[in-house]
Amino acid sequence: MTASTRKAVGDAWQERARSGFVVAAIALGVAAFLALLASYAILTRELHSGYLATNPASAILHTDAVDDHMLAAVGADPEVGSAEAKRMVFGRIEVGPAQWRNLLLFVVSDYGSIRLNKIVPEQGAWPPATGEMLIERDAVQVAHARIGQTFVVRTADRQEHTLRISGRVHDVGQAQARMENSVYGYITPRTLAQLGQKPVLDLLYIQVATNKYDEAHIRHVAEKVKQRLEAEGYRIHGVDVPVPGKHPHADLMGTLLLAMFSFGVLLLALSGVLALNFTAALMAAQVRQIGIMKALGGTRGQVARIYLLQALLLGGVATVIGAPVGIWGTLLLCRYMGMFLNFDVTSFGIPGWVFVLAAMVGLGVPVIASAFPVWRRTSMSVRLALANTGTPQDHFGRSVVDRMLAGIGGGVRPVILSVRNSFRRRTRLVLTCTTLTCAGLLFMTALNLRTSMIRTFDRLFAAQKYELTVNFGEMYPVEKINRAILSVPGVIRSENWIVTQAVIARTGRRAPRVTDASDTFRVFALPADSKLFVPVLAKGRSLRSGEDDGILLNQTLAAQNPQIKVGDHLMLQMGSAEMKGRVVGVDREPMAPPPIAYVPISVLERVHPGMANFTGIAIKKTESASIESMRNAIDSNLEREGIRGVGISSKSEFRVAVDQHMLMIYIFLVLASCVVAGVGGLGLATTMGINVLERRREIGILRAIGATSRMIAAIVVLEAVVIAVLSWGAAVLLARPLSEALAGMMGRSMHGAFDFSVAPLGILVCLTAALLVAATASLLPAASALRLSVREALTYE
Amino acid sequence: MEAEQLIQEPFRTPRLHSFSMITLTQVAKNYDTPAGDYPALCGVDLQIAAGEFVAIVGKSGSGKSTLLNLIAGIDRPSMGEVVVNGANIREFSENRLALWRGKNIGLVFQFFQLMSTLTAAENVMLPMDFARIISPRQRRTRALELLERVGCTRHADKLPSALSGGEQQRVAIARALANDPPVVLADEPTGNLDSSTGKAIFTLFGSLVRSGKTLVVVTHERDVAEKFTRVVELSDGAMIAAGTPDRQGATR
Repeated sequence: MTASTRKAVGDAWQERARSGFVVAAIALGVAAFLALLASYAILTRELHSGYLATNPASAILHTDAVDDHMLAAVGADPEVGSAEAKRMVFGRIEVGPAQWRNLLLFVVSDYGSIRLNKIVPEQGAWPPATGEMLIERDAVQVAHARIGQTFVVRTADRQEHTLRISGRVHDVGQAQARMENSVYGYITPRTLAQLGQKPVLDLLYIQVATNKYDEAHIRHVAEKVKQRLEAEGYRIHGVDVPVPGKHPHADLMGTLLLAMFSFGVLLLALSGVLALNFTAALMAAQVRQIGIMKALGGTRGQVARIYLLQALLLGGVATVIGAPVGIWGTLLLCRYMGMFLNFDVTSFGIPGWVFVLAAMVGLGVPVIASAFPVWRRTSMSVRLALANTGTPQDHFGRSVVDRMLAGIGGGVRPVILSVRNSFRRRTRLVLTCTTLTCAGLLFMTALNLRTSMIRTFDRLFAAQKYELTVNFGEMYPVEKINRAILSVPGVIRSENWIVTQAVIARTGRRAPRVTDASDTFRVFALPADSKLFVPVLAKGRSLRSGEDDGILLNQTLAAQNPQIKVGDHLMLQMGSAEMKGRVVGVDREPMAPPPIAYVPISVLERVHPGMANFTGIAIKKTESASIESMRNAIDSNLEREGIRGVGISSKSEFRVAVDQHMLMIYIFLVLASCVVAGVGGLGLATTMGINVLERRREIGILRAIGATSRMIAAIVVLEAVVIAVLSWGAAVLLARPLSEALAGMMGRSMHGAFDFSVAPLGILVCLTAALLVAATASLLPAASALRLSVREALTYE
Repeated sequence: MEAEQLIQEPFRTPRLHSFSMITLTQVAKNYDTPAGDYPALCGVDLQIAAGEFVAIVGKSGSGKSTLLNLIAGIDRPSMGEVVVNGANIREFSENRLALWRGKNIGLVFQFFQLMSTLTAAENVMLPMDFARIISPRQRRTRALELLERVGCTRHADKLPSALSGGEQQRVAIARALANDPPVVLADEPTGNLDSSTGKAIFTLFGSLVRSGKTLVVVTHERDVAEKFTRVVELSDGAMIAAGTPDRQGATR
């Protein structure tokens, strides 16, 4: 080892406590950077390959019943690679005494030859026998199910049937069942018949033969298939075209990982700030030694190399420590994200370039952070360097800020001393505050976002005055529906609506051209003066009573058709019915809802006089048990009236699912703020350590003139508290604009907007956390200040 | 004005008290150094009466500052007893020493050592905050009185960086008097000042002695020897002379 290397190692070792803080911070940054970059690489690779392995359908056509002729005709189309019939049935499953969950049953004829949207058997029977159901593996936890167990289910016939769980499967294409609070089951048409349903499959899944990832091509082929089938007399109610080759949650994962990666970069930058602070202080104390080395013949480059080598060594140690932590973090994150997105990570292999990049970053950050202080101190002339006392010269009082600070008095000198001490090294103060401010900023932003989300959803959900909605699937006389529902004790009000599928057809002199006619959406025809549906308007106005041509779009439909403006004329094609109308406004709804248009019920009452297929119900009590008993009572009454409800949905249950989705973002931001607070704490500890080191003599003087250990410790801790409070103040100032910007971004991702609100609790919690971090971070420096004897402190140079 | 008069006032023999303010009995101090045990002081016996103005002189490394540090309780003797104002400070804990020092000892350093972030008045009030003898309401008034006494009233609200070396040292003397300690110790207080300012500082010290303070000063200044009641000379850690300035060397 050369003398230069020995010096680099020796100096770092001599300042081992502070070196340790720097290494810890950089290691944390490297670990986060590696974990997030590697996770991004693994998850995008695995999600993509996992999803493609299911051979996802290019388009799904909704029809009355897929028969062999239809399958053969579509299958023979040279532009169609595969065609398959399936069905989705909604129902309820009893997962515990009086505890019901939504059930989504997938009906497949031949489990041995599933070609599209494949599912993978994991345990138990395959295929399911009649009267049996396979359960999606994540839904096992929702249903608290085990193989062999029998469950009571209800579908449209409202009869209770039993289904035995005979096996477990994995369906990559479905969202996590726990998050949706639903159970996914897989049955055969025979079982469907046992459940009181017609054993027909009404969904035609097709995959195009070529250009599988070209959405325009897929839409073109789907449209041709639709037209051909319609020409043969089949009714096609709608066509869904999922984004080709993309997992339904790929965007969500991408957004989350991008946010996490940005956080990793931020963490690295902050650890670089810490390294900069450390090197700057070290270099200030080394000036005389630099003078001596230069006097002995060392060139500036040679001297600078010693200190840059030291930074490189710290970076090396940090990388060696941080890399395994990063790998461990990668495994953890990939497993969690895989579980969250319901897919298996088959290979945790981290690409080599991730390691190379992490190593470059780990080694580079401290070197880059040290470059400026090293360059500055090594440029000093030998004469000036040798004349240096070893401790930085104090020029407090020469700047305007110093004089302003001196003007701010107070009754307790030790407090004034602490406050003013905080401002002595202002560059160091700014750098330290930056890290702590970032932590506070993330934390308050997380809480602000959460509050904004909750308030927005509270408002949007509150606008929906109904608690339950009943989907009948087909038209029933309003009179019968009312008799069944209004006689249930606890029902406050009900409203009967007509729900149907629609497309926007090109029409009207001012109507915009609609190029893609295959996009279907739901139309809710309801009373213009509805008491149960009160829109929260993003634009325009709501429907007016007596108005026959008003169309209210929800935010998703408006976002999907940006060319349509409030005031535009449209023609809606709703099966055989047509409506010429004018867009009056845009409604805001929670999360990213499916595209919906609201029209006056009078439009469809002409086609279905005195009939309805959907009812909104307001009830007195909205606790879970009451909702369930109401649901049962409504079900029984409907049965008595001979009405078959497809499903009864609860607003409260939907709200739980919405909150679950948002929880992820909130938890991530809070965790991120905690990690940054950790780095900030290390930074503050380093800064306070350096400050105490530089003020050894001053501490000696304080003790010489009567300061007790408690007072000295209090002065050190108070200085840290001042820095923490300053950081908190900056975070409070910046949190609002940042939260507003992020809330805006999140709102736009849901085609809507968040009602921004500040969480006052966040401000207080953050202040408490800042004080705790300050107290903790100053413990070591305060202890080191107390360890000094007065004589040592006074003779310190 | 009063301060100017005090500073200009010719030196008169102070009134000495009969009791010993500082008593050192067989005091020795050894330091562990990489080169081995280094005796900084060996077997020093010294009594300083209340109201004395004592100079400690000697070459560099003779043990002057060590002796002063032992009297101030900044350092502890390896052997022997140090009794100051009736207190045997050898057994005091660090905290008790700090509190005791704040009330009994005023310290003046060569490089002034004012807190750079506190104004002159605040620097003077700081020991009052520590000792809590003077009520918070009276602290500023007393600080201003002390600054007036050393001729620095107009600098009360200035930061040390705005003051000259002499002014800083006067503020440091005012700080040393903050809690009205019976003993003032000064370690080469004029070592960093020009000669005329140095003389003014010694004149100020003289006025303190006349007001009843016991002053012990480590100094190299020979031309102010007549101001001292006694000069103690150290060499290689041993006391080689102690006597009135005119009889210096009598006990050699």
